[in-house]
Order: sequence, then structure tokens, then C-alpha cells
Amino acid sequence: MTVLERPAVAEVSKPVRRRVPPWRNPWRRPYILGAITWLYIAWSLLPVLIAIQFSFNDGRSRSVWQGFSTQWYCCNEGSVFEDPSMFLALKNSLILGIATVLVATPLGVMLAMGLTRWRSRTSAAANGISLVPLVTPELVVGSALYLVMINLYQFVPLGRPAMLLGHVTFTVSYVLVIVRSRLLSIGGEYEEAARDLGASPMQAIRTVLVPLLMPAIFASAMIVFATSLDDFVVSQFLFGNASNATVPILLYNAVRASPTPALNALATILLVGTFLALILTVLVLKARRRGTDESALETLADWG
Amino acid sequence: MSFDPNDPALRRRRPRPQLARRDVLRGGVWITVGLGAAPLLAACGDNGSSGQAANGSAPYPLARPDKPVTLAIKDSNPPIDDGLDPETGGTFQILNYSQYMAPGVMKAFGQKHNVSVEVTPYNNYDEMLAKIRQPGQSFDLVFPGPSVLSKMVYADLLQPINHAYVPHLKNVWPEYQDPWYDRGAHYTVPYTIYGTGVMYRADRVTSVPEVGYDLLWDKAYSGKVYLLDDRQEAIGMSLLRNKITGDINTSNADDVQKATDSLIELIGLVNVKTDVNAYSEVPEGTATIHQCWSGDPIAGQYYLPKGQTPEVLGYWRPAAADYVVGSDNIAIPKSASKPVLAHMMINDLLDNKIGLENFGWNGYQPPLTKLSTKFLTDEGYIPKNLSNSVVERSDFAQGRTFYEVSPSTEALWQTDWARFKAGA
Amino acid sequence: MPDHKSGRDRATRRLWPALALPGTLWLIALFIVPFYAVMAVAFSGQINIFNEPIPAWNPLDWEFTTFNGVIVDSFTPSGVYHEVWVRTAIYSFWALVICMVIGYPVAYYAARLAGKRRGLVLALILAPWWINYITRMLAWVNLLQDDGYVNKFLGLFGIPPYSWLSGSSITVVWALAYGYLPFFIIPLFASLDRIDQRLLEASRDLGVGSVRTFLHVTLPLSRMGLITALVITALPMAGDYYTNTIVSGSPHTNMVGNQIELFLLEGPQKNIGAALVLLLSLVLLFFMLYYLILTQRASKELTR
Repeated sequence: MTVLERPAVAEVSKPVRRRVPPWRNPWRRPYILGAITWLYIAWSLLPVLIAIQFSFNDGRSRSVWQGFSTQWYCCNEGSVFEDPSMFLALKNSLILGIATVLVATPLGVMLAMGLTRWRSRTSAAANGISLVPLVTPELVVGSALYLVMINLYQFVPLGRPAMLLGHVTFTVSYVLVIVRSRLLSIGGEYEEAARDLGASPMQAIRTVLVPLLMPAIFASAMIVFATSLDDFVVSQFLFGNASNATVPILLYNAVRASPTPALNALATILLVGTFLALILTVLVLKARRRGTDESALETLADWG
Repeated sequence: MSFDPNDPALRRRRPRPQLARRDVLRGGVWITVGLGAAPLLAACGDNGSSGQAANGSAPYPLARPDKPVTLAIKDSNPPIDDGLDPETGGTFQILNYSQYMAPGVMKAFGQKHNVSVEVTPYNNYDEMLAKIRQPGQSFDLVFPGPSVLSKMVYADLLQPINHAYVPHLKNVWPEYQDPWYDRGAHYTVPYTIYGTGVMYRADRVTSVPEVGYDLLWDKAYSGKVYLLDDRQEAIGMSLLRNKITGDINTSNADDVQKATDSLIELIGLVNVKTDVNAYSEVPEGTATIHQCWSGDPIAGQYYLPKGQTPEVLGYWRPAAADYVVGSDNIAIPKSASKPVLAHMMINDLLDNKIGLENFGWNGYQPPLTKLSTKFLTDEGYIPKNLSNSVVERSDFAQGRTFYEVSPSTEALWQTDWARFKAGA
Repeated sequence: MPDHKSGRDRATRRLWPALALPGTLWLIALFIVPFYAVMAVAFSGQINIFNEPIPAWNPLDWEFTTFNGVIVDSFTPSGVYHEVWVRTAIYSFWALVICMVIGYPVAYYAARLAGKRRGLVLALILAPWWINYITRMLAWVNLLQDDGYVNKFLGLFGIPPYSWLSGSSITVVWALAYGYLPFFIIPLFASLDRIDQRLLEASRDLGVGSVRTFLHVTLPLSRMGLITALVITALPMAGDYYTNTIVSGSPHTNMVGNQIELFLLEGPQKNIGAALVLLLSLVLLFFMLYYLILTQRASKELTR
């Protein structure tokens, strides 16, 4: 109430025209917040852009610009495409990312359908447990998987198989969360209708539910892919030997040894690859988006 | 008789004795494996005379120059047969320090035999052992020093070398054709020899104290001071610098603790860091003072930024009696999937020409008779101001070496090293 | 018809659990069992000649000497691991403060005020999410070199060059904040975005200043998002060991994650490492449970 009184008094004592000071005006343009936001964006992205710039440096330095060159990308000793370990790491990252998507997405979608539609005490418990990986630090996941692989699951060799199992384990929850929120919002009526029309349960899922879930499935597949590419910790615990090193492992080891702009070049290639995949997904989502006012980006943003 | 770490015969209950809590924590949680394993050892055949550490015993022989060890070739783990064809295709997997073998040498080898050569890097032997022991892993070549060798052979991590494939062994110093840690070179051939000293930026360090290790404790270089990321080298150096004991393989908990405390001082004093990259960090200027191996300054000349000469680098080494010298060996893991190729690479690395090419890249001297100090200096491989980084035969006669110790002594060092790493 | 209906129900009833089964089994085998492996290693009473623990799979064989020792050493001021725990807490705390101070305004602006540029702002804020974490750290390593752009920039104002990468706690805290801010902003954005615009308009129409509107309307309504953001950033931050390794590398800035990495990957005393993992999990369990209860409650509200 006191809030209301103040402007009223002001209006009476100094009638009309007195401009409200800008910090009092609820409708002023949000200059300060805008400035903070744009500064943050600059702060978050400029370093990466500069790192990209140095991947084109004509010299060994990663801090002093010595002119433009593509020597760290190709055709020079120590460049990404001449250094077999870098090229291999790039390949490993992509293979692992795609394999993780192929396993984690169906697994997560099935889990989401099962846990959301199946109402019982068991499902509630399973639901709770399946969220735990989402909030468990990667270090804990990584070290637990490492200890179980070297001590108990000795039939799973460290390397790509172990990494795949690990990546799926911590990404499947992302799929679960995204797909489940979509499942909750579309409700069970569509399947019911399909069943009433004589579809078998599997048919109802395939012909009705899956198409409805497509945007969520795409978004989660993309997030699984990005998370897998981004992962360092679980990979570091499970990679075994150099044949399976991924880009983050290579970057991490090299940044501590003797880094050259080739590292920046490697990181740049991975970055460009990720963004191409991202743009592709956004386009697909846009094309599929019919009748909803949710933008594709927001579908991706809304994962939490 | 093969060794299985899960073999019940090797399991010992940790003594639940009247150890003070401090001892439990500091001494680490370890067990005396020795007694019960003795029969097992005997069953493994003649393991030669075995040295014993003062504290705790080891089920494997502990070699010393005055108590050489013959690592027996077991029936269960024979060398490969003579005259086999080299494997081709796929990956030749090397477990090694990073930047420790010339890429040119690896590439040529890979092209010759149609394999892709890969290196899985480690920073120290603890890490190397962790990697080589991972179940299901296969490595074709590994580079263990004498301080981990006997244990690795005992645990069947290595396979014997068939000398028929390694005629170049005659190229190495005679003492390394029959070394004290592996009589008859059954499991290893030498790779490099080195001493441990301090590398520094001569353009930033105005005067080098008599004990060059004091450079590490000099506040003037705060933030640019590095230790080797290796518990034996770091704690051993502290033992010598602080004159705690001349025995760099000590099993005395108080000594190790005092030496570690002195290292911990470095954290507050100069914000010390640990790694094994002196060869690049000093030339590039990230480090001003770096505890290093003697190969690092020589390799360092190739990492200098454009326009700088090797004169900006300096190497300090202790007097001969306190110089810690050592050797790295080449060995073939039991898990090797390309053992014939591994033998061939070993033979290549002992070739005078390839050995020189490798040295010209990594800076670490191979003990090849032809590559004498005079030859290397004359050929311009060693800058004048870094000539003290060459290791001589006399250094091995007078200097000190890290030996293999018992598991309990290792645990002692490991626990104190972790205390240093905690920055407490 | 009734027969058909009940048969159908039975089929459906079996279908949903069947769909949930593979994912549930996966998580049991690769999340719960690994956790048990951590305990089996941490409570092991036997070690081999490599000083490696031999896991005690039978709970009757468990010995708690190591674990108790680690607890004592973690929580008594003179303990070996006390410092790393304190550092973990302090670094995470300050990094989270920075995340809040920068992240909240940015999320608020992006969600409510960006207007026409909303899509662009959102895309730019999301961009770091798709850039490899190690790459982003690498970028800062480039900038923070002694002769890097940061010192050059500061030099313009006559500030003498500073060795940012020489084991500085400040660098580590900012690096953590930089690394985790995108993960902080996104859930916050999602929750701020959901606030009904009419509530804020009502508040403003009533003449309430923007600060008061914020304190009395926006902040309470975004509480859930803020907590999610804090939890989602705090958990991985507490298990971080690579950020400080990349930007510092000094034992002076080592956190509990570094100690775990040392024991598990670089040394044989895996029982101590496993004990630290358990302890870290117990400390974080409190936050995890809190978060899980909150999300469960929120999802129940959604389904109601």
C-alpha cells in the first residue's frame, strides 16, 4: 500500500509533466539488463572466436598473432590432417557420439513411455532412480564405471565398448526427461483413440505416439550427441588406450604438454561440425513444427 | 606359474595391529605380502638372488648394482619363436611418456610395416602400471625403468625378449647388454640414459646457487616453478637437497615425511606445479625453473620461439656423487598383439642411425657406443652451454639411482606424494 | 466388448513395464552396480603387491579402516584432505555467486525483455552449450598467457602483466563460473519464461517499481528455476578436476576431484580414491535428494 501512496503524493504536490526518474519507471527500456546480457554474450563467445583465430596463426604461438595461415589444418607437419592422433580423435568422437545417440535415444524413449504411462509404485521408484544420473557429478559416474569395469565387468574392455556404455548411461536420463515432459503434455487420449479404432498397442505407439513425440526425440538425440561430444570425464576414465582417445581427451592431454595452434584447429573443426549438426536439427524441427507456437530453439532450451 | 592378483594365495589380511592412526594413514594401507608368497616364488623357478628392502619385504627380487638379479624366463610365459613373420595391418600400440619417441621414427616404422603407430601417454610409472594392468588392454611396447621392472615381470605383465630378433643389442654399452636389474637382458633392452637436474631460463635467472635445487625455493620465480610429476624424483630430490638422508630409496617414514613437508613449502612459497614437460615449458617461457631430466634441455632447443637461441636455456646438475641417474628400458608387454613387430621396433631403436634420429628429436641419449659424447657434440646435437646435460659413464659409477622397493615402501611414498598433491 | 476391453487392458498393462524394462535394467547394471563396486573397493581390506585394493564383494568382508581414516582426514582441520574439501566448497561457492550475479540478469533479459531480438539472444546464450567445455577452457588459456590478450588489454590501462595461469585461485573461480554459466542460465531461462506476463503487468499497472516487482513477484515465481540452476551447476562443479588443472595445475588450487583422479587414475591406492568418491557422493546426496524431491513435486503438479 505504501507503494501506491508515493506516486500519488508526488502527482498532487507537483502536478503533471514531472518525469519519473528512470529507475522508478516500470516501463523504461531495460538498458542495464540489456548491457549485462550483451556483455555476457561477448565474454562467453569472444574467447572462443579468438581461439578460432589462432588456429589460423602463422607460427607456433597461441597468444601472439603472426599472420594468417592454414598450416595447422592441413599439409604441414603437426597439422590436424597430418597428425594421425588428431584425425583419429576426431573420428573417435564422432563415432562415439553417433553410437551413443543410436543406443541412448531408443532406450530413453522406451523408458520414458514405460515410466510415464505405467502407473504403479515400482514405476514411481524407477522414475526417481532414472533421474539420479542426471544430477550425479560426472566424476562420480566416471569413477564408479571405471571401478566396475576393471574389477567386475572385465569382459567389457576399456575403450570404445566401455565408453559407449558409459556415455549411454549418463545421457539416457536427458532423453527420459525431455520425452517425458512431452508425453505428459500430450496425454494418453491419442493412444486410447487409436486403440479404440482397433490398433494393437505396438501399432498405437508406432503410428500415433512416436510421430507426436518426434520433435522431443529429435531434440533429445541432438542433446545426447552434443553431450557425448562434450564429455571429458567419463571418457577419460574409460578410454583405455590412444586408439580410443576422443577430442576432449586429446585437447586435455595436449594443453598440458606442448600445445600448438593445431589444437585450436582441432577444436575449431569439432565446433563447426557440432554447429552444422545443430543447424540441421533446428531445420528439421522447424519443418516438423506444425500447429505449435514453440520455436525449435526453445524446444532445445527447454530440456531442463 | 602365473601371477594372478586375485589369487587367494596372495591375499593377505591387512595387519590389524596396534598401529597408531597416524601410521595407518601415513604409512598407507598396505600388507606384508612377503612371507606367504615365498613358496610361490620358489615355484616360479630360480629368480636369482633377491635383495630385500630394510622395511617390509617383496615377493619379487629387488635388484641393486651389487646384488644383480636374473629375471627368470617362466615356462608359462615363453618368448616368441624364432623366424616369425611380422604382423601387418591394424594398430601398433605404444605405452610411453608423451613426446618421448620421434614422430618420424614412428611414421617410418608404420609405413614400412603397414601399421598405424599410436602412443598412449603417461606421466609417471604409477600411471603406466595402472594402464598396463587394465583388463583387456593390449600394448605392444612399454618403457619401464629398473624401479618397476621386477614387479612387472613377477606379475606377468611383460614377455621375454627373443634376442634372435634383436641383433642390434650389440650396439649398446656392454654394461647394458647384461645389466644388474635384468641379467642377460631377458625382458628389457635399454632405451635412454639420463640424470635429474634443474632446467632454467638463463635470461631470467641471474645467478645459479651452488645447490641449484635452491632455485626451486626462490620466491623470485613464483608461479613459474615446476617439479617433475613423479613421486620418486620429487621426494628424492628433497631428500638430497635437505640432506635428510643420502638414501633416495629410503623406507624411513620420518625421512619421507620431512622431505614431503619441504616440498609442501613450495606450494605456499612459489605456487609450485608438477608435470614432465620441461622440454617445452622452459623454452616457451611458461616455466622459469623446472626440475627436469637431462634430455629435456637438449630437446628444449627445438621448442624455442622464433628468433631465440639455445643460450636462453640453462641446465644445472648436482655434483657426481649426488647426481641421480637412471635409464629407461624398452620392454614388450605380455598383452602385445604384435610381438614380432615389437621386437623389430626394438631392434630399430638400437640401430645407430635410427637411434641418432630419435635422439635428435627427443634429446635423450641412447646408450649406443657409437653415439659418444664427443660425436654428439661434434655433430652439433648438443649446444655448448648445455654440454653438462650429457650423461657420462662416470656418472653411473658415482651417482645414485632409484631402485625397486617393497610394496610397503612404495605405499609410504605414494601416500606422502598424495599429501603433497592435496596442497595441504 | 467388455472382454475385448479387459484383454486390451491386460496387454497394455504388460506393455508399459516391458518398455521400461531395458532402460531400467541398463541403469541397474551400469549405475547401481557400479556404485556398489565403489563401496566394494572403498571397504576393501586387502591389497595386492601393486598396493591396489582387492574389492570386497561380500558386505561381510567389508572393513571400514580406510573409509574412517579418509573421513577423519577430510573433516579434521589437520587432516590431509581437509584443504581440498575446503577449497572445493569455497571455489564452488564463489563461482556460484558469480553465476547468480551474471546469470540471473541475463536469463531474465533473454526470457522477458529481449523483444524482437529474443531469438538471437537465446541462440547466442545457448551457443556455448554446444561448444566443447575443454575447448572453452583452452580458449582462456590462450588469452591468459603472459603475453596474451588479457594482459595486453590491461596494459592499455597501465596495469602490469599478471601471471594468470600460475596457480591463482581467482583464475580458477572465474574459469569455473565461465565454464558452468551456460548450464546455469538455461534452466533459469526456462522458469522465467514460464512466468505469466500478466502477473508482471498487473504489478506494474499497480505502480509498483520494477525492483519491487522483481522482489515480490518475479523472484518468488522463479525460485524453483533458480534452485534447479544452482543444483545443476553446483553438483558437477564439486566434482570438477579438469578446469583447475587446465588453468592452474598447482597443488595450491587442487580440489577434491583432483585427489580422486590422483588415486584412481594415477596411483594404485584406489581404495582411498573410492572412499573419497563415496564421501563426495554422500555430501552431494543431500542436494540431489532435495532437487529430486522438488522435481518430483513439480512433475506431479503438471500431471494433476
